[in-house]
Amino acid sequence: MNIKIKLIALLFLMVEFSAYSQPVQRKKAETATIEWRYELECVGIGVQSSYLVKVWSYSKNAKVAVEQAKKNAVHGIVFKGFAGSGQKCPSQKALAPQVGVEEQQKEYFSKFFKDGGDYMKYVSVSGDAVPDVVKVGKEYKIGIIVSVLKDPLRKDLEAAGVIKGLSSGF
Amino acid sequence: MQKLIKKVALSVFFIFQITLAFTQAKKPTIMVVPSDNWCVKNGFVTKFDEMGVTKTVPDYEAALQNSSDLLLVMSKLNELMKDRGFPLINLETSLKSMKGEMAEDALVTSKSGSGISETPYDKVRKTAKADIIMQITWSINQLGPKRSITFNLQGLDAYSNKQVAGASGTGQQSFSTELPVLLEEAVLTHLDNFNSQLQEHFSDLFENGREVTIRIKKFDSWSNDLESEYNGEELSSIIEDWMAKNTVKGRFSTSDATENMMLFEQVRIPLYDINGKAIDARDFCKGLQKFLKNPPYSIENKLMTKGLGAATIVLGSK
Repeated sequence: MNIKIKLIALLFLMVEFSAYSQPVQRKKAETATIEWRYELECVGIGVQSSYLVKVWSYSKNAKVAVEQAKKNAVHGIVFKGFAGSGQKCPSQKALAPQVGVEEQQKEYFSKFFKDGGDYMKYVSVSGDAVPDVVKVGKEYKIGIIVSVLKDPLRKDLEAAGVIKGLSSGF
Repeated sequence: MQKLIKKVALSVFFIFQITLAFTQAKKPTIMVVPSDNWCVKNGFVTKFDEMGVTKTVPDYEAALQNSSDLLLVMSKLNELMKDRGFPLINLETSLKSMKGEMAEDALVTSKSGSGISETPYDKVRKTAKADIIMQITWSINQLGPKRSITFNLQGLDAYSNKQVAGASGTGQQSFSTELPVLLEEAVLTHLDNFNSQLQEHFSDLFENGREVTIRIKKFDSWSNDLESEYNGEELSSIIEDWMAKNTVKGRFSTSDATENMMLFEQVRIPLYDINGKAIDARDFCKGLQKFLKNPPYSIENKLMTKGLGAATIVLGSK
C-alpha cells in the first residue's frame, strides 16, 4: 500500500515537472533569441523570394529548440544577416541593418515575435529536414533547415514603416 | 472662435501637405546595360577609324537583337527591381526612341525650309541616359564537363561616375544545369546585396546631397582671368566662397586651380532647390552663372553640361 502511494506520488511529480519544465525551457529559448544566441548558416539562395538557412538553436529540450528555430531564422534574417558558405551562398545583409532598430520598434517586434506571432507567416521547416543534434555540455545544439520568405517579409516590414524601402524618400 | 480655429488648422494642414508634395526628391532612373567587356567578348561591337586610330565601341542594338541570355538577365533584373518599387528604364526602348527621334528630326523642316539645328557637340551627347547604370558582365567557366557562371553587377552613378553598388561572385559548378537557369540563379543570388548597397547610397544622397563635378574655364578672348581682383578679392576665391555657401554642409574640394581654370570635385549639391524642384549639376550651376553675370562682377559666361553630374562654366562670352 505504502509503495503504491509512493509510486503515484512519484508519477504525479514527474508529470508536474515535465509540465513545468517546458515553459521554463521556452522562456530560456526566448532569452537566447533576444541575446542572439543562435547561428544561421546559409544553405541555399537562388530561388525567388526565399532564403534557405540552417538554424542552430540551444536548449535542454529538443522540441523547444526545433520550435524556436523558426523564430530564430526570421529574427536573424531581420536583424543579423548571415555569412555565406561556399559558392552557392554569398553572405546576406540584415533586412533592418540600422543600429538600435529593434529597441526603437520594440512594441512592433515584441508583437511580431510573440508565440504564434506574424513571424510564422514567413517561415516553414524544410520538408525533408531532419534536425542535427549535438550535445554541448548540458544543452542540445539543434540544427534544422528552414525556408524564410524574405521578399514578403521585407515588404510587410516596409509597409509597417519599420524598415526603409529602396524607393522611400523619393 | 471655434470655426476660426478650425479654418486655421485646415489651412496649416493644406500648406503642410503641399510643401510635402513639392519637397519630394526626384526618383533616380536606373538602366541596365551590358558592360563593354561583355560586348567585346561576345562580338557585339562597332569599329570605326578616328584620326587613324581604330576605336571599338559596344553595339547595344546588336547585343539586344542577338543575345537571348542578355534579354533574360535584363528582364529578370527589371522584374525584381520593379518589385522593389524601382522599375528600370529599358535600354532597347530607349535606343528605339532615340532612333525614332533622329529620323523625325531629319524630316522636320520649317515653312522657310530650315531644319532642326544640331551641333556636333549635341550629336555626341545623344546617348541613352539614366541616373544610375546597372552594368552587367558574366562569363561562363568550363572545367571539364562542369560549368559555372561568374557574375558581376555594378551600379554606376552617372553624376559622380563612381561605383555606388556592386555584387559579384562565381556560382556553383554544375554538370547539367542550362545556362539561362544559371544566369537566373546568379541574378537572384546577388541582387539583394546590390540593393542594400544602393539603399546606403540613397541614404547618403538624402543626408549629404548629390555628388557632381564642376569646372570653370575661360575663353581666350576674355581679357581677365581667375586671378583678376574684384573688390580686393581674387575671382577664384569669390567662386570658392559661393560654392561653400551653396553646397550641402559646404562640401566640395578644389582639385585644381590655375589662372585659367578651376576644377571642383566631390561637390555635394542639394537634391532639390528652395522651390522643391529636383536639380542636377546644370541647375546648380545656373545659380553660379547668375551670380557671376550680375554686378559687381558682370562676367558674361557660358554653361555647358556633360551627362547629369558634370557642368562647365566658361567665362568671358556666351
